[in-house]
Amino acid sequence: MKKIIFLNILLILILFLTGCWDSKELNKLGISLIMGYDVENGKVLLTVGFINPASTQEGDMEGNLSVKYAQGTGNTILEAFRDITLKFDRRVFASHNKVIIFGEDFAKQGLVGHIDELMRDREQRETSYILIAKGAKAYDIMGVNPGLEQIPANYVLELIKNTNSNPKAMSVNFIEYIKHYYHNGHHPMTGIVEKREKEIINKSPDIGPTSEYELSIIGSAVFDRDKLVGYLNGNDTKALNFFLDKIKGGVITFHTPVSESSSDELSSVYIIKNKTKNDIEILDGRIILKTKVKLTSSMGEVIGNIDISKEENIKKMEEACSKAIEEALEAAVKKVQKEYKLDIFGFGIVFHRKYPSQWKNIESNWDEIFSEAEFQIEVDTNIIRTGLINTPINRIKVE
Amino acid sequence: MENTKINKVSYNQVLLLIVLYRIMVGLTYMPAVNTTPANQDVWIATLLSIFYTILFNLPIIYLSNKFNKLNLLEITEKIMGKFLGKIIGVIYFITFLFSNIIFVGTLVEILNTALFPVTPTWFTTLIIMLTCAYISSRGLRNIGRLGEIIVPIVIFTIFLIIILGYKNYNIKELLPVFSDSTFGQINLGAINTSMKFFDILVLVMITPNLENKKDLNRIFVKSIVYSILIVVGCIIPTQMTVGIELAKHMNFPFLTFTRMIQIGEIQGFDLLYMICWIMGNTTKISGYLYFTTITLGEIANKKNQIFIIPISIIMFVLVTILKDSRSILGVPQPANTVISVVSITSIIVIPSVMLIVYFFRKKRLN
Repeated sequence: MKKIIFLNILLILILFLTGCWDSKELNKLGISLIMGYDVENGKVLLTVGFINPASTQEGDMEGNLSVKYAQGTGNTILEAFRDITLKFDRRVFASHNKVIIFGEDFAKQGLVGHIDELMRDREQRETSYILIAKGAKAYDIMGVNPGLEQIPANYVLELIKNTNSNPKAMSVNFIEYIKHYYHNGHHPMTGIVEKREKEIINKSPDIGPTSEYELSIIGSAVFDRDKLVGYLNGNDTKALNFFLDKIKGGVITFHTPVSESSSDELSSVYIIKNKTKNDIEILDGRIILKTKVKLTSSMGEVIGNIDISKEENIKKMEEACSKAIEEALEAAVKKVQKEYKLDIFGFGIVFHRKYPSQWKNIESNWDEIFSEAEFQIEVDTNIIRTGLINTPINRIKVE
Repeated sequence: MENTKINKVSYNQVLLLIVLYRIMVGLTYMPAVNTTPANQDVWIATLLSIFYTILFNLPIIYLSNKFNKLNLLEITEKIMGKFLGKIIGVIYFITFLFSNIIFVGTLVEILNTALFPVTPTWFTTLIIMLTCAYISSRGLRNIGRLGEIIVPIVIFTIFLIIILGYKNYNIKELLPVFSDSTFGQINLGAINTSMKFFDILVLVMITPNLENKKDLNRIFVKSIVYSILIVVGCIIPTQMTVGIELAKHMNFPFLTFTRMIQIGEIQGFDLLYMICWIMGNTTKISGYLYFTTITLGEIANKKNQIFIIPISIIMFVLVTILKDSRSILGVPQPANTVISVVSITSIIVIPSVMLIVYFFRKKRLN
């Protein structure tokens, strides 16, 4: 009898499992994939891109867009979030958010002091990528979608993922940014996004208007602690990724080492693997920052009269590639040392780990020391594949 | 008082329970990251706490070995006499009750923070207390059996989560080792951690129920070593993923670590953690509730069963009031100070005094 009563109680309890105070119905949520933060008239302006569940292939014919946008303003981010609730019919659901874009003005006033909510709120994902809208407001960037992805946020997300094959941009997620913010001796960096005009290639009148803009994430944003102070171009960002050992793929282009021809001929290698080691040495009181790059690559294209099926020529190509990387890295370091005087490469962390007792004395003026420090860059390239052909196609092969 | 014959528990059951009780603290709010030296060396301090935990608990474990047919309160009465024994018994009852309120409060806090922000505190507390009161009412043997099922699941899940998170690890976050903290600071951190080993009280309460009383010392040492190794196994990945400074800012560092895990497009591994964490905490609270009623039963010379519902109601009321008035983890003071005072008193001071009295009254007691 007792068991029957107990089972009945259990069955009644099941009724409560259907949902309680925290139940979330899908048709009540506004699922956001991208958010933009700007500052306007001293207030936070939040722009959220929501997926439109009504948007289907047929729906699009009726003019429904796959994404809808809502904006809210407030003195703080949370206030801006709540402001949206009185303008948009669904509650912002941020758990699926993939990308956060900060307007340039917002980033210049300092990120960390204003984004506490993004760490405190359980719905926000720490893995969301951060981008800075270069020279623009975040909302200027958000509606642009010239790609094949139906949802603009996914278009931006795919661009970020493509940094794996082109390190001229940076992919930094929210927690990485905060982590570096806490590191003394390494200023944080983030990716950027820029709206650019593009040529309309398809001029067929029945196609209708096509996008006039595209987004580019080439480059990166330089921060002094949490304040945006400038940008690096694509090549310098690639160099930065080498220093940070974040190279996962990409292409290195260098002058083909052919003695008889002009130096305009360029060849390229694909990056298969890269390992960078940063080190520091103190010699006679001078601080020397050392970087060793070990690149494993595959021949991508050979322009010029060189027979790379010969061992000595492959060696020449490897040396030329190493030299190109060395020059690029050196140029980036010099630029950062001269223009920004900030250690964005993380040498301060290396110093702290190698010379912990000295670090305490120089920690506060590390950036100054970094900007005057000597550099030694050493690159070792290894070309392990030549693709489907060996000698360049413009060269007649003679045994 | 309870019938020890029908509540016999095996070596494995007790070992698993004590390990679970200890690791739940680390899994929840990882206090070690904020303990001295509070830098990248915290895992070393935690590891070193094994030695100090064994050292500080020697008096209580010595007495338990000497009187292995008696539980903690019976030992107290035997050594200190009936009157003083009862007073100390009340202190231990308050210790168990207080610890359990903190455990339930913490469980409610994380549930309301991470899963059910709108659900009222009373409802979450009610569900927890109903479940735990039921488990407690089934007796120690069933709590032991539950532990045998739950603990392997919890440990396996932690292990799985640690493996899944490997992509986010940066070993350099652990460096430099021994440089930013002195030997003294590391020892201080280890001592701090070791003084909060409440679960030794559970072990001493279980001793008369052990199938083989000689297993006591093995369980004592192994539970400390295993639990600390598991906790360090959670601290290091968390530190390597989010860095020590960020970990210190977090109320639930291991939860954030699990939120960072991403395999392809798949996220949400924090749910795995939440499931095992709820199971583990329910087992822990049930066990502590059981021993709270046992201590009260000893004081009142009655069966513990009759106290389960009243104590559960008291806990429900106190936790609801506490949780509706402040955050336990977000604002750790004065709870931390109270925990320290209660733990030092119940684990070190009282057993040490009892040990001294025992040596004076040794002949008479034997």
